[in-house]
Order: sequence, then C-alpha cells, then structure tokens
Amino acid sequence: MPIFVDKGTNVLIQGITGKFGALQTKLMLDCGTKIVAGVTPGKGGQTQFDVPVYDSVQQAVNKHRVDASVIYVPAPFVQDAAFEAMDAEIKFTVIITDWVPLHSEMKIKAYAKGRDARYIGPNTPGIMVPAQTSLGMISPSAVMPGGVAVVSRSGTLTDEVASHLSEQGIGQSVVIGLGGDPIVGSRIIDILKLLKEDGQTKGVVIVGEIGGTMEEEAAQYIEGQFNKPVVAFVAGRTAPRGKVMGHAGAIIMGERGTAESKINAFESAGVSVAKTLWEIPSLLKKVV
Amino acid sequence: MRLYEYEGKEIFKKFGIPIPQGILVKTGEEARQAAIELGKEVVVKSQILTGGRGKGGGIKFARTPDGAEKIAQGILGMELEGYKVNSLLIEEKLNITNELYMGITVDGENGTPVAMVSAEGGVEIEEVAKRNPEKIASELINPLYGIRTYEAINLVRQIGLTERTLTSVSRVLCQLYQVFALNDARVAEINPLIITNEGNMVAADSRCEIDDNSLFKHPEYKDLRIQRIENRWEREGAEGGVNYVDLEGNIAVMANGAGLTMSLLDTIKANGGSPACFLDTGGGLSRERMKNGVGLLLRKARADQRIKVVLLMVRMMISPPDAVTEGIMEAIEEVQVKTPVVAVIRGRTPYQKRARELLENSAVILCPGIEEGIREAMKIAKG
Repeated sequence: MPIFVDKGTNVLIQGITGKFGALQTKLMLDCGTKIVAGVTPGKGGQTQFDVPVYDSVQQAVNKHRVDASVIYVPAPFVQDAAFEAMDAEIKFTVIITDWVPLHSEMKIKAYAKGRDARYIGPNTPGIMVPAQTSLGMISPSAVMPGGVAVVSRSGTLTDEVASHLSEQGIGQSVVIGLGGDPIVGSRIIDILKLLKEDGQTKGVVIVGEIGGTMEEEAAQYIEGQFNKPVVAFVAGRTAPRGKVMGHAGAIIMGERGTAESKINAFESAGVSVAKTLWEIPSLLKKVV
Repeated sequence: MRLYEYEGKEIFKKFGIPIPQGILVKTGEEARQAAIELGKEVVVKSQILTGGRGKGGGIKFARTPDGAEKIAQGILGMELEGYKVNSLLIEEKLNITNELYMGITVDGENGTPVAMVSAEGGVEIEEVAKRNPEKIASELINPLYGIRTYEAINLVRQIGLTERTLTSVSRVLCQLYQVFALNDARVAEINPLIITNEGNMVAADSRCEIDDNSLFKHPEYKDLRIQRIENRWEREGAEGGVNYVDLEGNIAVMANGAGLTMSLLDTIKANGGSPACFLDTGGGLSRERMKNGVGLLLRKARADQRIKVVLLMVRMMISPPDAVTEGIMEAIEEVQVKTPVVAVIRGRTPYQKRARELLENSAVILCPGIEEGIREAMKIAKG
C-alpha cells in the first residue's frame, strides 16, 4: 500500500443514493474500487449498483470489513457523517463535499485528533492509486502507474497535472488531493511523512497554491528530513493581493501565504519550482 | 461576509456584551436628531466594510448636535478606502481609562479557534503583532467544547489584569466566543474594548465576519452578501454561482476550479499576456453554471472594448459533457457578441471526446491543450 489505500481496500460510500454520490459510485466501480457498502439513512435494505445500502455506518461495519469511507453527503450534514465514520472506527475517510462550513471543518479536525483516524478533504477530488483503486473523482484516463506521487491542494488542477505527467510517460504511485479549504484533514507535511517510508514512491510533485502556510511548513520538513526529490508548482503567482480567488484557502494573508513566500521556501529547501504546468515533467526528469 | 460595525454590535448586544448607546443615521439631519436624543457629546462613525476609517477621516467627535450634523454632512458620500460612506453610527462619547484588544479567529495551521487578548487596544493589532508579539496573549480553543471560564481567566491574567477587571474582561471573552461560535464567524473582534472611568466594559468597535459556507444557517445575511458586492460584474458572478474577479487585461479567462484558473492566469502573464478577469465556476459543472459563466464573460466583453477574446478551460472529471457544451452554446446564442471563444476541454476520455464532438462544428475555437489554448488566445488578443 503506497499510502492510505490500495486495491485491497474495502470502501464504504456515505450518501450513496444521492444524485452525486450515485454517479460517483458508478465511476469508482468502473475504476475497480472495491465498494462493499453504502449508507443513506432511510434507504437501508436497498441496493445501488448491487452494492448493499444501510441506514447507518455502524450497521455497515457490523456486516462488512470497511477500511475507508468516502463522504458525498450535502455540506450541512458533513460534520455528522465524518463523526459517524470515526465513531465506527473507520481508519481513513475522504470528504469530497465542498462548501462545508468552516466551524464544521474545525470540529471534524478536533474529533479526529487523538483517534486512530486520518482523513483528507473537505473539498477534495480524492485519492487515486493508478490501476488499483480510486476514492473520489480523479480521472482514470489522467493517470498511469509509476513512481511519482502527486500531492495537491487543488481539484481539477490535480487531474491536469497528472495528465501532463502521464503524457510524458511519467507514472504515478499515488495522486492525492488534500482539499482546497483552509482547514483540511491532512496537510502536505503529513503526506510527505508517509511517502518517505513508501518504497514505490521515487519522487514527489507538490501542487500548492496561495493562502495558508502548508507549503512553507512542507518546505521546512523537506529541507531537514525528506529524502526524495521534489518538484513544486504554486498556483496564484500573479493573483492580486487581497483578492479572494475561489477557494476560501486561497486568501493571501500578511507576508506568509503569498506565492513569493512559498516559492522562496521551496527553493531554499532545494526543491525545483516549475513556472508552468508543462515545466513539471521536464523538471522531474532532471531530478528523479 | 464582513458585517458592518453596527450589525456586529447588534449581535454583541444579543450575547450580553455591553455596547455604547448609538443610532444609525443616513443624513445630516438624522445625525443631529440622534445627537439630541443621546443628549451628550457624540462620536460620528462612518459605516464601511473595511478598517482604517479613523486615519481616513471617517471617525470624528462632536460636542453639539449642530456639530454632529456638520460632520455627518462632511463624511456622508465620502469615499474611504474605496468604499462610499452611505450611513453613520452616532454614538455616545465614552470616558476611557483603558483600551484592550480582544479577538477570536481561526488558526489555519492548527485548524482550531484561537482567542487573543492584548492590553494594547485601540490601535492596529497587526502592528502590535509585528512590533511586540509578546504583548498579545493567545490560546487555542477546542471547538468541540468551546472556551472554558478558566481558560479565559488564564489568558486575561497574562496581560496583567487583576481583581474585578480580570473577571469582567474574562466574562466578555467568553461572550465573544459565543458570538464567534453561534454565528459561524471567521472573525469576531472587539478593538478596542474600553474600560470606562466608572470601571465598566464597553465594546467600542466590532469586527465580525461570517463564514460564507455557513450562510444557509443565517438567512438574515444570505441575500445581503450578494447585494453588498460593489463591482457589478462580481455581483453578477455571485448571483450565477461563479466566482468572478475583475482584472484589467484583454483576455477574459474562465476555468473550473480555483487552482486551475489561477495557473491559467499565471501562465498567460508569464507569456506576456494580460488577463481581463478571473472566473472560477467551481470544479463540478452544471449546464446552468456553465451558461452563467460564459454569459457573464461575453456580456462583459460587449461592455468592455478592451476584451478581445474569451478563453475557457474545462477539466472534465465528473461534469456531464452534454450539459457543459449546452451551457456554452446557450450563452453564445443569448449574448450575441462577436468576441471569439477559445476552449480547451480535457479530462476523462469518454467525456472529453463527447464534449469535443459536440463543439466541433460550432463557433468555438477548440484547442487540444492549455499551451495551445493560451497561444491561440494571445494571438487573437494581439489582433
């Protein structure tokens, strides 16, 4: 298992009968994801694409071994859904839903702390291990198996970067979106710590963006303790100061959080920083 | 969304935090009446959604109702920090012994609320943070439990307060935490919290920002958020569920996803081009949102002669291709403007194939990748 999941991972879908959840379930099944159960309160006993549906997560884990859950419930219900997954002792959760309230994000983070529970998101495209499994919406046609891990704060840009790598013959060990919101379950540094121990991963691409301090924190870790080559890209170099560009996370705050601060931090940690998307594969070829 | 000072104070009052007596006015005459009603010296405060009002002349003291009217007439209609002053808060002037700072906000790195207090209130707290960070005491709060009384006491003790002041300031801090938690705030701040000559606490100013993702819980602010966006194009974007930011160039840019849109802008600039806007539709697309986005850019192009071309980038991860292309075509048909539309459509193979087929015989100029799309748009922009 590169990180978090592989082809043996048994997956639960929370919100499996919703319009969005159902469509995604179908696409994940097409990727070979082992979806063993779904949850929608009030729909227990039904099936969705032959996957059994339960009223609660606890019911599902009583019947099945569940290694990971993917949450598609609407934003107002995400907090409870995440608590429910953690209370059922599911070790890894992917929160796909976007527009999740900030206070819910803080509470989920606090709830996970001190438990043996990890999560990514909210507002994430999910995690994909090429040719093995997909928990989320990353396009199977964007990826191919290989040795480069893509760790990204974006959604569609994650997919685009993976495509650029695949088109240049560079395969991926894992493609993971952390979520575009200010408070997410796993930060870049958390993923790097796991990738450090992963034999499959030979190099890492970090796709960052303006706002927050995740990139600066990661750069510091890379400088002192990370042992694999890293190429970084930072979106928002030319964003005007003080303007909010989309993600709640992409707000420039003070001196830290700017593209300049992130690029400087990466460069002084010896990380090659790509100026354009198509520079990423060529820089990678130089260092890996 | 940021609230006006008077709105923040209304919330404070509901949560038991003392505020000065005050009246919101919109004319000089109303200001005069307000001063008469308050029956003492007053302060005239412009209501705008930004800081720095004092320095810009947006806050002034008046001894008499006549003075209040004159000052109000001078401030109303003024432009401060890019905001026009439409209303004023007329408040009683306070006898100040001490000015403190108190704020609750979100610590992004730790992902928890953080409570902060300082004895150096009444000034730009960012300046204090830079110059004398030791003068601000702060504590991370567990959002599952909220602030506890002893946490508040311990924190307020750190700025040197004792006895009755210690307990009353701690009580206000707990109340402010309630304001923060129950209103889904990103920031709830009192600067300054005044201790009067009589030893009472009064919140002389308020700064509250509500989390936009939580507005479904606060219907009283939901519509106001959009109404208060000053730029008409940005407002139209918000109404259509897309995020639009006005820039100055000649290439109108739209993509699905903030990271993708930002990197398009960066790449255009790196190649010497000039984006006219940032439009992010969000990752997952519907026909309606696509139509709103493209329609907005075309309408903007019709109104703004500088815009020479529209560049769309769609990354199809889960968005249904038929809906996306229909949205584009409907917008083009509806707006009727000659501005060329360049589109890059990539993603899940069957989706990408279908969308490209649907656009093949249309007016849209299809490019296979971002590099080609940008090159094409820049060529058109140069004329």
